[in-house]
Amino acid sequence: MIPVHLPLVELLIDIFAASILVTAFLIVSSRSLVFYIRLFALQSLLLGMVALLVVIGYGETHILIAAILTIAIKAIAIPVVLTRVIERIHVQKEIRFRMSITASLMFCGGIVILADSVAQSILRSPHAEASAVTRVLSVSIAMMLIGLFIMMTRQKALTQIIGLLTMENGVFLSGLSITYGMPLIVEVGIFFDILVAVLILGVFVFRINKTFESISIDSLRSLRH
Amino acid sequence: MVDWEAFQPAALTVMLGGYALGGVVPAILGILWRNRTKPGGSLTGAVKNIGFGLALAAALAGCLLSLSILISGTPLHMEFLPTAHVGMMGFHADTLSALFIGAISLLGAAAACFSLGYAAEFLLRRSMVLLVVLYNFFVLSMIGVLIADHALLFLFFWECMSLTTYFLITFEHEEHAARRAGFLYIVMTHIGTAFLLVMFLLLYSTAGSFAFEAFRMEGARLPASTQSVVFLCATIGFGIKAGIIPFHIWLPEAHPAAPSNVSAMMSGVMIKTGIYGMVRVFFDFLGPVIPGWWGVLILTIAVTSSVLGVLYALMEHDLKRLLAFHSIENIGIILMGVGAALLFASWGNRPLAVIALIAGLYHVLNHAIFKGLLFLGAGSVLHAAHTRNIEDLGGLIKRMPWTAFFFLIGAIAISGLPPLNGFISEWLTFQALLLGFHIPDLTVKIVIPLTVALLALTGALAAACFVKAFGITFLGLPRSGHADRAGESSFTMLAAMGFLALLCIFLGIAPGPIVSVLNPLASSLLEEASTGQIVMHAGTVLIPRSASASISPAALTGLLVVIAAIPLAGISIFVLKSRSRIAPTWACGLERIDPRMQYTATGFSKPLRIIFSDIFRATHEVGISEEPSPYFRPTITYELKTESVFLKYLYEPVFRSIVSAARIIRRIQTGRIQTYLAYIFVTLILLLLFAR
Repeated sequence: MIPVHLPLVELLIDIFAASILVTAFLIVSSRSLVFYIRLFALQSLLLGMVALLVVIGYGETHILIAAILTIAIKAIAIPVVLTRVIERIHVQKEIRFRMSITASLMFCGGIVILADSVAQSILRSPHAEASAVTRVLSVSIAMMLIGLFIMMTRQKALTQIIGLLTMENGVFLSGLSITYGMPLIVEVGIFFDILVAVLILGVFVFRINKTFESISIDSLRSLRH
Repeated sequence: MVDWEAFQPAALTVMLGGYALGGVVPAILGILWRNRTKPGGSLTGAVKNIGFGLALAAALAGCLLSLSILISGTPLHMEFLPTAHVGMMGFHADTLSALFIGAISLLGAAAACFSLGYAAEFLLRRSMVLLVVLYNFFVLSMIGVLIADHALLFLFFWECMSLTTYFLITFEHEEHAARRAGFLYIVMTHIGTAFLLVMFLLLYSTAGSFAFEAFRMEGARLPASTQSVVFLCATIGFGIKAGIIPFHIWLPEAHPAAPSNVSAMMSGVMIKTGIYGMVRVFFDFLGPVIPGWWGVLILTIAVTSSVLGVLYALMEHDLKRLLAFHSIENIGIILMGVGAALLFASWGNRPLAVIALIAGLYHVLNHAIFKGLLFLGAGSVLHAAHTRNIEDLGGLIKRMPWTAFFFLIGAIAISGLPPLNGFISEWLTFQALLLGFHIPDLTVKIVIPLTVALLALTGALAAACFVKAFGITFLGLPRSGHADRAGESSFTMLAAMGFLALLCIFLGIAPGPIVSVLNPLASSLLEEASTGQIVMHAGTVLIPRSASASISPAALTGLLVVIAAIPLAGISIFVLKSRSRIAPTWACGLERIDPRMQYTATGFSKPLRIIFSDIFRATHEVGISEEPSPYFRPTITYELKTESVFLKYLYEPVFRSIVSAARIIRRIQTGRIQTYLAYIFVTLILLLLFAR
């Protein structure tokens, strides 16, 4: 494929990357479990689009498969599985928060600033190669941190999964931004890993709900003794 | 002229292959016919016979291999995995390895033969497949330890050995004591492995390779401080396996818990792998220039182990635990030879060091044989009477005459009495120590006489202990129904014990061949050119360096027979002519005696318990039940407890501090996932800020 060096492609990548960050913020600000899943599906779709744009814009054909897999697994398969789990356990809302939504959003804003400064310092180093895609590095670091933050502040086991998947999207994006994507075999491995993990976690959530009558992971404290 | 080059690899292959097949074939049978190899299944007998039969064949091949290496002096060398960065991996069996392989194979042959009869006890109760597989892999890994020529290979076999023994100790896992012993063993042995790892890494840092060949070349060139750290790591790491005091706590728990054929192997040869490691590292890697304090340290450990080992043994009434404590004692005696060799070598007196090392290595072989014999005897008793508590035994000499006879031979040998093998090696140790008197140094002049005196004490106490063990177990009247119903063991078990008893006698009367083989071995380890430190002259052992030290075991035996014949002749001439009456033994002519009138083991050891009361710290409790009339047999209970100084003042404080430290650390363990994530998150943020 002939590389098409278009400013348009760069612009689109920027827009999509920004939208991905927005979806992460929306997850932080929302309460509904169903909404989380839909937002995650949207986020993954946007990620797949970024990958496709890298293919079109820079001629990195091996990412094509990764992009398709992203859309197929993360934007379609995983959300479907998780939606089923929610339907079966009849839990709709994240009720108790460790940190209020407003404070969380402020904190995540701080995270983005930190991520950007870290990304800048990485890119300033003499080894870094300037490419259009490196601009999304700050987004990817922010995504990883926000994913961890979601896992840290939420109660429901399902939200933990969403946090984990958000982190994973961040990892994928950073791979994309620094080296135009990791080698295909690594990517495929990660996809498989994530898919299996989500299936197992889904079963876990179901069992936890059956055992503790709730999917609040606070109940797991009783395992300590 | 025998072609060693072709014979040795063949013997090695047969030996390793025999053990490996002995492990693999039963495992395959167990997988294919799961139902028929279950306890009580129709194939269990076949599994037992195949497994132990192959072990027996492999042990015989091992005897031949060991003999061929020892006699020819040509080491067997094999390289099979050339690894560029860490050195050549392979097997290397020199005469030192061959001596230990010989000990394993002699005892292994007896133990395998014994197991053919003994393991029948487990046919209905236990997984025979498991026992056979573990046993064979256990022996295989011991051989591997001895022939490994590469630190990583050595550690691999070392760990295999530890794991297989762990599962053998916990073989009867329903018993709480067995599980506890297994846990203690695995913890201690892993601490030991950690020290060995440090030792090998230190050697690697200089040698640049994990091959033993490189250690041999570079070990002597290490800086003195590093050498000493290596020495300490080896002493602790191998010492834990050998069971030296104060690292002995696992040994009296673990050896009795395992099946008796396995305890014989563990006590007879497995703990000797620790001695092998020490000799290998001290003399082969680090020698020949040795600081003086090494020898003093090893001698101190040796004396402590032997005296305390035998004292604790005296207080034991569990036959197998008693034997386990005697293993500690004998490891001490072996280390006296090794320590004296280190001390003399540090003073440059190599010929003397050679004599001391020969004494130590001879005792390795002897202890393997008589301790194996005693454990097999204890196994027979356990098999017949179903109890290890000697207070419940008695009178077995009438019910199991052959077992009693063989046990007696083992008991005489371990007590160091002539004309059996234990005497020869202890005599050599004495000679080496006494000759060390000429070294003009104050420390040596203090250490050596003390060692000699305490070795003499050890011998006397060991004899006392075995008078107790043999007398209470086999003589007198049965103290319980179990002992009353006991019967003689099967033929294979007796044959195994008879074989070892013959070896005890042979090694005692004819030490010549062994000494002539050990002399070049010890000389080459100490890099001493001449090999005539101990010579045999017309069946007499001579130490040429001193005018007085010579002994002729054969003449001694003859003398013993003559001396024994005199009173016998006197009896037959004078006593038998007079009127005689047959009455029960020890009954002072009374007609009937009750088993409860007999001396007990506790009573027997009471005088020593009083003399050494500071060490035992014994407390006893007498409970007399309240009855209406004091004349009608109130139940009286007597409970005696001795306290282990090491457990109380060394191990318990360590355990306590670890537990209290864990309690403090536990506070950060909330059990809430979010908290753990928060730890990660905060760390990550801090790192990012820091690295920016």
